[in-house]
Amino acid sequence: MIPIEYWIIFSSLLFAIGAYGVLTRKNAIVVLMSIEVMLNAANINLVAFSSYHSALHPSTGPDASGQVFALFSIAIAAAEVAVGLAILLSVYRRYQTIDVDKINILRW
Amino acid sequence: MSSNALRALAMAVLALLFVAIVLSVPWPEGDMDSTTSEDVAKTLFGTTGAEGYGLVLLLIGLLLLVALLGGIFLAKEESE
Repeated sequence: MIPIEYWIIFSSLLFAIGAYGVLTRKNAIVVLMSIEVMLNAANINLVAFSSYHSALHPSTGPDASGQVFALFSIAIAAAEVAVGLAILLSVYRRYQTIDVDKINILRW
Repeated sequence: MSSNALRALAMAVLALLFVAIVLSVPWPEGDMDSTTSEDVAKTLFGTTGAEGYGLVLLLIGLLLLVALLGGIFLAKEESE
C-alpha cells in the first residue's frame, strides 16, 4: 500500500496546479476546469485520510465516511459546473467573450 | 519578470511548502485500509435504516435538480 504522505503530497501538488491555472489563465472555462482540479485534490485528501484513519483504528471496523463525503463533494461540483457553464454561456451571448480580464461587470 | 511568471513562482513555493510540511509531520505508523464498495454503501445508507446519509443523499439529488433548472433558466435564449 502507498503511504499517506505520498497521497497528501500528490493532492498538494494537484491543488497547486489548480491554483496556478486559476491565477494565470484568462479563459473562464479553463479557470472552471482548474477549480475542478483543486476540488479533486480535496477529494483525494478526504479518501486518503478516511482510509488511513480506518487502518489506524481497526477495532471500530471499516469506516468509509471520507469516501461518502467525496461522493457528496463530486455531486456538488457537478451542480457548480452546471450553473457556472450556464452563466458563461449567458455572458458570452451578451459580451461575445469569456475572457475573465474583460468580463468586469462585477468589479466595483 | 512577468506577472504570470511571478504567479507560477508563488505556486511553486506554495507546493514546496506543502511538501515540506507533510514530510516534517511524524505520521503514525499505519497502512492504508482497503475499503470496499460494500463499506461505502454501508456508511452511505446505514445498516438499520436510521443511520447513514440517506437523507443527505436525497437533499443532494434535490440540489442537482435545482442546479439543472437554474442552468436551463440561465442559458435560455432571451426572446426579443
